[in-house]
Amino acid sequence: MAVELTTQTREQTRARSPDDSGYVERDGVMVYYEVYGTGEPTILLLPTWSLLHSRHWKMQIPFLARHCRVVTFDGRGNGRSDRPTDPEAYYEREFVADSLAVLDATETGRVVIVGFSLGWQSGLLLAAEHPERVNGAVFIGPSFMGGGEPLPERTVYDFDTEYDTTEGWAKHNRFHWLRDYRDWVEFFISRMFTEPHSTKPIEDAVGWGLETDAEVMLATMGAPVLSPEESRALCRRVRYPVLVIHSEQDALNSVTRAVAFADQTGGELVLLEGSGHAPHLRDPVKVNLLLRDFIRRHA
Amino acid sequence: MSVAAPAREQTRARYPDAEGYVERDGVRVSYEVYGDAPTTFLLFPTSPISHSRLWKAQIPYLSRYFRVITFDPRGNGKSDRPETPEAYSYWEYVQDGRDILEATGTETALLGGICDGGGWALMLAAIHPTAALGVAAIAPCVPRLTPTHPNHLRYPSDVPLDTDEGWAKCNVHYWRRDYRGFLEFFFSQQIPEPHSTKQIEDCVQWGLDGGPESLVLCDEEAPAPFATEEEARELMGRIRCPVLVVHGELDGCQTRERAAAVAELTGGTLVAFEGAGHLPQARHPVKVNELIREFGQSLERRTM
Repeated sequence: MAVELTTQTREQTRARSPDDSGYVERDGVMVYYEVYGTGEPTILLLPTWSLLHSRHWKMQIPFLARHCRVVTFDGRGNGRSDRPTDPEAYYEREFVADSLAVLDATETGRVVIVGFSLGWQSGLLLAAEHPERVNGAVFIGPSFMGGGEPLPERTVYDFDTEYDTTEGWAKHNRFHWLRDYRDWVEFFISRMFTEPHSTKPIEDAVGWGLETDAEVMLATMGAPVLSPEESRALCRRVRYPVLVIHSEQDALNSVTRAVAFADQTGGELVLLEGSGHAPHLRDPVKVNLLLRDFIRRHA
Repeated sequence: MSVAAPAREQTRARYPDAEGYVERDGVRVSYEVYGDAPTTFLLFPTSPISHSRLWKAQIPYLSRYFRVITFDPRGNGKSDRPETPEAYSYWEYVQDGRDILEATGTETALLGGICDGGGWALMLAAIHPTAALGVAAIAPCVPRLTPTHPNHLRYPSDVPLDTDEGWAKCNVHYWRRDYRGFLEFFFSQQIPEPHSTKQIEDCVQWGLDGGPESLVLCDEEAPAPFATEEEARELMGRIRCPVLVVHGELDGCQTRERAAAVAELTGGTLVAFEGAGHLPQARHPVKVNELIREFGQSLERRTM
């Protein structure tokens, strides 16, 4: 039986509301998209892990939409999109197919893609396998698997083993999710924003995380990530400009992942001092200006 | 006793174009000037609990439209820390503002202030009408005008207490024992809005830049500016320039009643901020900035 974790709060007011929105449907899964602004080029803000939905781009949308057309969508598993519970529905190529369906539905030709964290996978697949749709790609805090090292603290506990502790990263565990999903969400998001004065982005992101649930998140964990070999092979196929933005203090993904990713894609690497895992939410001005300049140069 | 060494000053969105001191009775008061617009906006500080950086969210914006002058209060920042209570009388701060107008060649200016500084700006407008184009007073403190906020009356402020709980920290003995503890408590009460850790941290640091002794002299030992409520009312009634009063509904330092009395006696306008505390200029800078700019520009047009 599903447990009601929190009552859905009224959605926050937005600095900018979408000019168009709609759904695409694939294999019975409805995916919700939004379009902001008009003109060229179009920026596709990709979904990330289903823990968050498209509002995690809230600091980028109003700014970027002044300069170009912005398309974003809620990744399956959260937001206004459906929440299938079959792991196969979360295979990375499903997110790629959702992206292409959204581009078609919004009559969008080529785009600059921006992906955050796990969004590197669909971003890389799009850039490598659909070069006719992509002019350039930006990756923020990528959890790239083709090189670099995991953070040591994330290798202590296994996701599928039951432990008698719930301390720290022991929360990142199947049994704890089922026991106390909210506790894990709060822990995980607190590691996402390690900067001082982050209570607002933490509150926002915890709220987004609670819009889905442990059952859905466990389904996402059942979907395989790209293997290191596959990741490296895809990088070699990228022919478009790439920008990787990462923080040396990122407490979720080691900076060595980003260094390897930029290296293998021939991309530019920008390291932010003092930022955490999600600088687009916590240092939006810096990130927005980087995005704007990248788009101007490569769109 | 020692208070934490001042941290390296934060970088600023805008730096002053000119700086200087005025000196009276051996006390030097530091001021800064931003921009060179035709109309001047003099922003009073508040008591030595803070200094001119409490206007950090206003200076870069307002100086696009006005010549902005700020100063550090005697007792904090780059101003001297005199050791007699008389040097901390409200009237001394009023006179500091007036001296700075003169030193910067300013005949008339918009005046702004928060808490005590709001009181000082109003007092200057009352005794020196030609100096004031208008007054924007945020959470103004005009002693005796209305009853003091109940938070300040919960415990006696000048005798040793057997508790450090809550408002018992608003006590000179506690200040001397743990000034940081007092500042952290006080500003967390005065900035009750969610997500205010940055503003609280700033205010605590600015408080530590001063230290407890100046606050003791200013808040506890300095002569009162008015002997009676009537005296305070009479002075407010003398103000002839337009007045804007801003009050946060969650203000834990100055009452709505006091803000309303200032507006009523001066024929001014009261703007109440829902969900705001004592320091809306820090926590709601966009709203406050636009309000103050519009107020200032409406008066500028009248004179030009």
